[in-house]
Amino acid sequence: MNSQAMKSFEHLEGLSEAIFKRLYQQPATALAVFRRMLPNLAKTFVMAMLFNPDPVPVSSLEAFVRPDQNRLKEEAFGKLRQLYIVTERQGTFALDATFKVELRKALTGGGSPGSFGLPCDTEDKNRVDISFLDRYAAEQWESILHFMVGNETQSSQRPSEGVVRLLLHGKLMEQNRASGTVITQLGFSFLLQEVNSQVWTLLLLYLDMAEQLRMDPVDILHFLFLLGSLELGQDYDMKSLTPTQKGMLEDLRDYGIVYQRKSSSRRFYPTRLATGLTSEIRSLRSPAATLANATPGNDENGFLIIETNYHSPLQIAVLNLFARLISRFPNLVTARITRESIRQAIGKGITAEQIIDYMTANAHPQLRKNSPVLPPTVVDQIRLWQIEGERMKVTSGYLFKEFATNAEFNAVCKYADDIGVLVWIDKNKGMLFVSKHEQIADYIRKRAQSNR
Amino acid sequence: MVRAIKGVLVECDPSIKAIILDIDSKTHDIIVENLDESHLIIKDNKVAELKRILEERLNEHTKVDSLEEEEEEEDD
Repeated sequence: MNSQAMKSFEHLEGLSEAIFKRLYQQPATALAVFRRMLPNLAKTFVMAMLFNPDPVPVSSLEAFVRPDQNRLKEEAFGKLRQLYIVTERQGTFALDATFKVELRKALTGGGSPGSFGLPCDTEDKNRVDISFLDRYAAEQWESILHFMVGNETQSSQRPSEGVVRLLLHGKLMEQNRASGTVITQLGFSFLLQEVNSQVWTLLLLYLDMAEQLRMDPVDILHFLFLLGSLELGQDYDMKSLTPTQKGMLEDLRDYGIVYQRKSSSRRFYPTRLATGLTSEIRSLRSPAATLANATPGNDENGFLIIETNYHSPLQIAVLNLFARLISRFPNLVTARITRESIRQAIGKGITAEQIIDYMTANAHPQLRKNSPVLPPTVVDQIRLWQIEGERMKVTSGYLFKEFATNAEFNAVCKYADDIGVLVWIDKNKGMLFVSKHEQIADYIRKRAQSNR
Repeated sequence: MVRAIKGVLVECDPSIKAIILDIDSKTHDIIVENLDESHLIIKDNKVAELKRILEERLNEHTKVDSLEEEEEEEDD
C-alpha cells in the first residue's frame, strides 16, 4: 500500500544535485527528507555521522549491519548518495555540510525564528477549530474527486480552474470533444490511492507545472516540507513566506491543504492534509483514516456488502470501477465482485493490489475486527484473476549490454542483485535487465575510475 | 563500452511470443530487442497497445466460454 506513496517520491529523487543542495538550506526540509525519504538503516547511518566532526570510515557504518543484510546496506547507501546527503572520500563517509548543519538545527531547536512556521502573535477574531478544518479539507478534496468521477452533485461545487488545469496537466483527466473533461486510466488508479498519496501526487504535479511557469522549485518544496511540520489548529503568519509561497497559498486553499478565511487574510491554517505530508511512512494510513473519521458522513464500507450510513456517490462510483452494483438502498449498497468486473478494472489500468488496498482501507469496522481484514481466499482470487489475463509479465527498466569484460559483467550482476534491482540475466550473451538504472550506472562509473 | 537501453521486459510463453513477433512484423515499431524464446524488450509506450491487440487475438477463441459464464451469474 505504501508503494504508491513511495512512487511519488521517485520523482523527487530525480532532482539535480544543485537543487538538493539548496533544499537542504532549510531545517524543516532537511528534517522532512530525513523522516520521509530515508529507509531506517540510512537514518541510523545519518545519526552516526550527525554529531561527528570527522568523516566516518565505511567499516564503522558497516558494523551496524548484519553481514547477511547486504541488500539493506546497499539500499541505504544508495539512497544517501542519490539524495546527495553524503560525500565519499577514500573509504570514509561524511554528511553534506549544509544538510548536517540544518538537520542539527531541526533536532536541537536552533535556527532562525519562523523556520518551522511563524505562529500568529495576535488573536484571530474568526478563529476556527480542528473539526472545522477537517470538514473544510474533506469538502475541498472530495469535490476534486467527485469532479473526476463526473458526478458534480449540488452539494459539491466544481473545483477551481487551477485544479482542472492541474488534472489535465497530469493526464488524470483529458479533454474529450464529445463529453467534455473525462477521467483517464491514470485518473482511475489515482482514485484508488489513499488520501496522503493522492495529495502528494497532486502536489508533485503542481511542482512540475510550476517549473514550466518558471516558479522556483526549491521555494515550492521548502513550503511543502514546511507545511508537514506545522501544527494542526494553529494559525500561522504569512509574513515569513516568500512571494512565490504566498502565491501558492491560493492554490493550496483550493485543494483543501490550507485554510484562509479570505484571500486578503494574513493568517492561514494548515489542515490535516498538510500536517500529514511528511509523517513517517509507517503512519501514512492514519491521516487518511482520521480524515475519513472526521468527515460528516463517516462513510464506512464493508466487503461484498457495502454498508454506508450516508449515501456517498463518490464511494459508489469508485466501487463501480471493480464491482458490479446490484442494488442501492438509502443506507446500503450491494455489489458483487466477479471475474468480469475485475477483468474490466484491470483493462482500465487498475491493478489487483490497488483494489485490495482500497477495500482494506475502507473496510467496515465489523470487518476490521478480523485479521487479516479481508478473507484470504477473496484476496487470492482477485490476484489470480489478474494473473490469468497476464499472458505476458511486463517490467519496465533498462537493458545493460556490451560489457568490456566478463569480470565487469559479473560484478555488475552481483551488485544489481545485492541492491534488489536485477530482473533478468543472460550469462552467455552478457546482458542483464534491471528495474532501476541510476545506482548501476554510478557503480559502473566508479568501478571504471578505480580500475584506471 | 557498456550500453544501457530503456524499455520494458516482457516475459511470456513461447506461443505468446510468436504472436507478439507476428504483431510486430506488420509495423516493426514495438520490439526493441529479441532476447530469447520467452523474453523480449519492447518500447515502453507500446505496452498498452500490445496488450490490447494480444487480448483481441486471444479472445477470438474464447468468446464462447465467457458467454456461458455470464448466464451462470444471472441465476443466483
